[in-house]
Amino acid sequence: MSRFFATGSDSESEESSSADEITPKAPGTTFKQSLLLSDDEEDTKRVVRSAKDKRFEELTNFIKTIRNAMKIRDMSKCLEEFEQLCRAFLKSKNIVDKEGVPSFYIRLLADLEDYLNQLWEDKEGKKKMNKNNAKALSTLRQKIRKYNRDFETEIAAYKENPQESADEEEEKEEEESGSSAESDDEAGDEGVSAKAFLKKKPEGVSEASKFLKKGSGDESSSSDDDDDDEDWGPDTEESGSESSDDEEGKNKSLATVFLKKDKGLDRPGVKKVEKKKQKKKERLGEFQDGEGDEETEGRWEKVKGGVPLVKEKPKMFAKGTEINVPVVVKKLNEILQARGKKGTDRAAQIELLHALANIAAENNLGQGVLVKIKFNIIASLYDYNPNLAAFMKPDMWKKCLDCIDELLDILFEHNNIFIGENIAEDSEHLAVSEQQPFRVRGCVLTLVERMDEEFTKIMQNTDPHSQEYVDNLKDEGRVCGIIDRLLSYLENKGSTEEICRVYLRRIMHTYYKFDYKAHRRSLGLQGETKSEQDQEESEGEDSAVIMDRLCKFIYAKDRTDRIRTCAILCHIYHHALHSRWYQARDLMLMSHLQDNIQHADPPVQILYNRTMVQLGICAFRQGMIKDAHNALLDIQSSGRAKELLGQGLLMRNMQERNAEQEKIEKRRQVPFHMHINLELLECVYLVSAMLLEIPYMAAHEFDARRRMISKQFHHQLRVGERQPLLGPPESMREHVVAASKAMKMGDWRTCHSFIINEKMNSKVWDLFPETQRVREMLVRKIQEESLRTYLFTYSSVYDSISMETLSEMFELEIATVHSIISKMIINEELMASLDQPTQTVVMHRTEPTSLQNMALQLAEKLGSLVENNERISDLKQGVYGGYFNRDQKGGYQQKQSYQRDQKGSYQQKQGGYQGGYQGGYQGGYQRGGYRNQNQGGY
Amino acid sequence: SPGCGRNRPALNNCQIFRVVLKIIKHYQEEGQGSEVVQGVLLGLVVDDRLEITNCFPFPQHTEDDADFDEVQYQMEMMRSLRHVNIDHLHVGWYQSTYYGSFVSRALLDSQFSYQHAIEESVVLIYDPIKTGQGSLSLKAYRLTPKLMEICKEKDFTPEGLKKASVGFENMFEEVPIVIKNSHLINVLLWELEDKSTVADKHELLNLSSSNHLEKSLQLLMDRVDDLNQEIVKYNTYSRNLSKQQQQKHQYLQRRQQENAQRQSRGEPPLPEEDITKLFKPPQPPPRMDTLLIAGQINNYCQNVKEFTSQNLGKLFMAEALQGHN
Repeated sequence: MSRFFATGSDSESEESSSADEITPKAPGTTFKQSLLLSDDEEDTKRVVRSAKDKRFEELTNFIKTIRNAMKIRDMSKCLEEFEQLCRAFLKSKNIVDKEGVPSFYIRLLADLEDYLNQLWEDKEGKKKMNKNNAKALSTLRQKIRKYNRDFETEIAAYKENPQESADEEEEKEEEESGSSAESDDEAGDEGVSAKAFLKKKPEGVSEASKFLKKGSGDESSSSDDDDDDEDWGPDTEESGSESSDDEEGKNKSLATVFLKKDKGLDRPGVKKVEKKKQKKKERLGEFQDGEGDEETEGRWEKVKGGVPLVKEKPKMFAKGTEINVPVVVKKLNEILQARGKKGTDRAAQIELLHALANIAAENNLGQGVLVKIKFNIIASLYDYNPNLAAFMKPDMWKKCLDCIDELLDILFEHNNIFIGENIAEDSEHLAVSEQQPFRVRGCVLTLVERMDEEFTKIMQNTDPHSQEYVDNLKDEGRVCGIIDRLLSYLENKGSTEEICRVYLRRIMHTYYKFDYKAHRRSLGLQGETKSEQDQEESEGEDSAVIMDRLCKFIYAKDRTDRIRTCAILCHIYHHALHSRWYQARDLMLMSHLQDNIQHADPPVQILYNRTMVQLGICAFRQGMIKDAHNALLDIQSSGRAKELLGQGLLMRNMQERNAEQEKIEKRRQVPFHMHINLELLECVYLVSAMLLEIPYMAAHEFDARRRMISKQFHHQLRVGERQPLLGPPESMREHVVAASKAMKMGDWRTCHSFIINEKMNSKVWDLFPETQRVREMLVRKIQEESLRTYLFTYSSVYDSISMETLSEMFELEIATVHSIISKMIINEELMASLDQPTQTVVMHRTEPTSLQNMALQLAEKLGSLVENNERISDLKQGVYGGYFNRDQKGGYQQKQSYQRDQKGSYQQKQGGYQGGYQGGYQGGYQRGGYRNQNQGGY
Repeated sequence: SPGCGRNRPALNNCQIFRVVLKIIKHYQEEGQGSEVVQGVLLGLVVDDRLEITNCFPFPQHTEDDADFDEVQYQMEMMRSLRHVNIDHLHVGWYQSTYYGSFVSRALLDSQFSYQHAIEESVVLIYDPIKTGQGSLSLKAYRLTPKLMEICKEKDFTPEGLKKASVGFENMFEEVPIVIKNSHLINVLLWELEDKSTVADKHELLNLSSSNHLEKSLQLLMDRVDDLNQEIVKYNTYSRNLSKQQQQKHQYLQRRQQENAQRQSRGEPPLPEEDITKLFKPPQPPPRMDTLLIAGQINNYCQNVKEFTSQNLGKLFMAEALQGHN
C-alpha cells in the first residue's frame, strides 16, 4: 500500500488503512492520494462525471457523516447534517425524479428513524445526554417522522428486505479488511475483492466484461502516463503514481461493478471520487478547519497524514506535463476559481500564485504570462482582507509593493506588452512570438490606485505616535516612487484619462508637503548647506513646477469633474502652503468652488476645508488679517474643526451615529502626517479675531446694534471673565484672552508679550516656515490695532493729542501714525482733524455721551413697546388682519420713520465700519461672500 | 400741625416722631448701594392720624443662619419695648429704595398682609440717594381699597383687574407725612448743621446730572424690556383667545346646521355637549406683574422728571450767575 502512497511514509499509510476499517468505506480511499499530483487528464476525467454521480456523491457524503455522528451519539451534529442532507436531496430532485429515490438514501432514513426511536426509548441514556443533544434529539425525531411520511412505501420495502443491504455492507467490510491486510499486494487486493464479488453476486460474472473493458480503458490512460514517464525518466515518485493510477483503474472498475450491481452499493465509487476531490482541495491548500472537524469524525488519522504531504510537495504539475503557456493559464484559472469562495485560504492561494509565477519564469514562458500572473498575485493580495475596513498586514504590504515594482520592471523592460482593462479574456495574447506583441488583460493603474488606498488605510490604522507609524511612513517614498514610475510609463502608453488619474495620485502625494529645498533656494541659503543629502534633494524640479505642470494638464484634459476639483484644491493648498497668497486666492476665486462644494462628496469637502484653512493661514502669514479671519470663520465657528478637516471624530456625536456611519467616517480620516495643526489653526483664528474685534468693540462701545465679528472669540473672552481667579495664562487660548484684555486698554506691550513669548513660540509660531517674518508682522499689527483701540477708547478725554506722543507710545513711525489716523478720520470712525503744522490731532467731541446713547436705546425700546401695544389694540378692535397691514397705519409708520432716522444718523457716523466690516462680514463669507468681497476689494 | 378729625378707617396723615433719624442711621450703617434695608414701625392710631413713634430694624441676616425666625425676633423686640414702656403697637414697616425702585411684588405682598392684619399700617419708603442730594425723601404709602379687594380674592386675570378698574396709577395711595421732632432733636440738628462743612451744605446745588440720569435710564430701560415681554405674552394670549373664539363659533354654527338638517329628516337633535370642554380657554396670563411694572415705570418717570426739572432750574441759575459775573 505504501507504494500507492506516492508521497506518504509507510506508517502513515498503515494508519490510514486502519482508519479505513472503522468506516464502511471504499477500499480505494488510500490510493486516491496518488491523485494528489493530479495531471490534467485526471481532471478532465472528473469533469466528465454525470450530474447524477455528483449529486449522489454529495448525498453519500452527508449520509456518512450522519452515520458517524450516530455512532458517537452526537445528536446536534446529526441534526445539522440531516438538514443539509435534506437540502441536498431537494437539490438533486431532477435526478431523483429520473432515477428514483436512491436506496442508500432510503436506508439511511429507515436506520436513522430506528436509531432515534431506540434512543428515545432509552430513558437513562437520554438523561445522560447533555442539553444540546437532548434538544437536537427531539427535534430530529420529529423531523424525521414528518419527513419519512413521504417515503413510507420505500422504507417499508427496505424494512422488508434489510438483509440485502446488510450483506452488502458486510461485503464491503470484508473487502476493506482484505485490502488492509494485504496492503502490499496489489494483486491480492484485486483478488480479494474479486472473490468477494464472485461469492456475493453471481450475476457479477456477466458484468465482468464490463469490468474488463473498463480496465483496459484505464490501462490506456495509464499508458499515457507511461509515455510521460519516459520523457521524464524513471523516478520513484513517478513509478508510484503510475502504479497507483493502475491500481485506481482496477479499483474504479471494481467500484463501477458494484455500482451497476446495486444502486445502494455505489458508495465506494462515489466515495472515491469525493475523496479525490477532497485531495484536490487539500493540494490547493484549501484545507479548512471547519471541514477538518467534519472529517475528523470518520477519518481522523488520514487527515493528519494528508497535511504534511501538502507541505512537503507544493507541486503544481505532474512531472509528465509539458509546461507551456496554455497549461499555465489553465492552472491559473483553476486557482483563481477558488477566489472569493467562502472556504478559500487566501494566504495559500497567494503562495500558489507565486509558485506558479516561478514556474512560469523558470520555463521561460515569456513576459505575457508572467505579467498576467503578477496581476493576479496583486489582486489576490488585495483580496486578502475580506473586510473593507481592515488594513493590510505589513508583510502583505511589502509583498504587494515588491510585486508592483516587479510588474513595473517587466513593463518597462519589455515594450511589446499591451495591457488594458478592455482587452477581452479570449483576445489575450500571452505566448511568445516575434511578430505579435503580448496582450494582457489588466490595469496597472487600478492596482496602483488600490495600493495607494491601502497605504492610506495602513496609515489611518497605525497609532500616529508610535515608531511603527514612522516605519510605515517610510514606505511613502516607495509609494511615490511607484506612482512616479507608473506616471512615466503611462505618459508614453496610457490614455489621457489614465494620465489624469495617475497625475492626481501624484498630486495627492505632493500637495501637502512643504518644499524645503525650494524654500531654501529662494532664500539663497543653498550655499551654506552642502551635505550630500541636500545636494541630492536640490536636484530635480521644484514641487511647485511639478504641481503646476500636472494640474494644468488635468485642467485641460480631464473630463470628470471630480479629478479636476481635487486637482484645483490641491493646487490651491500647495500655493497657500508656500505663501503664494495671490495665486492661491485667485485660483480659489476663479474655480467658483465655494458655490457648489456642498454638492461634492465628503472626501472632496474635507479637502476643500483643508484648503480653505490653509488659505486662511497663508493670508495670516501675509498679514492679511481680515482675509485670514474670513477664510477660517466657516471652519472655526462650527466648533467642529476636527471633524470638518477629517482629523478625528467628535465624541459628542457618538450617540447620533451608529457603528456603520462611524466606520464610514473613520475611513474618511486624513492620515496623521497630513494633518493641519489644530492649535495653530485656532490660534491664528483667535489672533485674527482679536486684531479685528478689539478695535471694533472699542469703537462701538455704546452701540446697541453692535454685532459680534467672531462669536468664538467672544466666547473665549467670556470664559476668561468667568474665571474667579486669574492666574498667568497657561494655554494658547488664555494667552490670547489675556492679550485681548491688554489690547483693550491700548497696552500693546503687554499684548505683545502675551502673544509672542516662549510658550506661544513653541506652541504655535515656530510651526511656520518663516517664523521670524510672521512674528514681525504680528508685532506691527498689534501696534497698529492697539493704537486704533486707544484712540477709540480715550479720544473723548483728549482735546488734542500730539502724533509724536502717539508714535512714541506705540513705537510706530510718525508717518504710520499719520496714515492710521487719517484712515480713521476718512472712515468717520474718529471725529477729529489733523493739525499739520503742530502735528496734532484735534478732537471734535461730537460723539454722543453715554447718556445720549442710552436715551437713544430707550427710545428704541419704547418704539417696540408701542408697536406691541398697538397689536393688542388691533386685536381689541377686532381687526384680525391688523397684524399684516399694520404698516399702512399712519401712526405706527411715523414712529417707524422716527426710528429709521435714528438709525440713519447712527449709521452715517459709523459708515466706514458698516461698509467695511458689517457689509463684508454679515453677508460675508457664507462662501459666496468671500468671493464677492474680495473681488470688490482687489 | 395736627390733622383734622376724621373717622377711622380713613387715614389722613401720619405723624412721625424721632423715627426719621433712626431710619437714616439704619441705612447708613447697613445699606450699601442697591441693597435694601427694612424695619418695623411702631406707634398708635389717634383719631385719623397714625402716629409713628418708634421703629426698629429687621436684622440683616446672612445665608448662614437660615433658621433665623423673624417673627420670633419681632415679638421679642416688641415685648422688650413694652417693658420699657414705649409704644409697642405695630403700625407698619419701612424700606429703603434704590433710585426709586420699590414697586415690586414683594412689597405688594407684605404690605397687603400688614394692611390685612392691621388696617392702618403704612409702608415708609426712604430714598437715601435723593436724601444724599440734599432733600429728605420719605414717603408713606398704602394700598388702595380696590387693590386690597383684588389681593384678597387673588384674581389677577385681565377681566378681574378690568372689573375692579385698577390701573397702575391707583394702586397705591400716598399718605401725607408730618414730621415732628422733639426739641432735643432739633438742637441736635442745629448742632450738626453748624458743624458741617460748606461743601456739604451746598450739595443741593450740585450740577452734575449724568450719573444719576444714566442709572435711572438704565433701570427704566430694564423695566421697559420687562413690560415689553409682558405685553408680548398678553398679545399671544389674546390672539389665541380670539382664534379659539372663532373656532368655537364655527363649531356652533356647524352644529346648528346639522341639527336643522336632522330636524328636517325627523331625527332627534344631537345631544348637547359641553362646549367649554371642547374648547378649553387658554390660561390668561396674570396681569398683576404688568401693573406693578407699569407702576414702577411711572415712578421712575416721576423721579426723572423731578430730577431734571430741579437740575434745569439749577442750570439756569448757574448760567445767570455766570452772566452776572
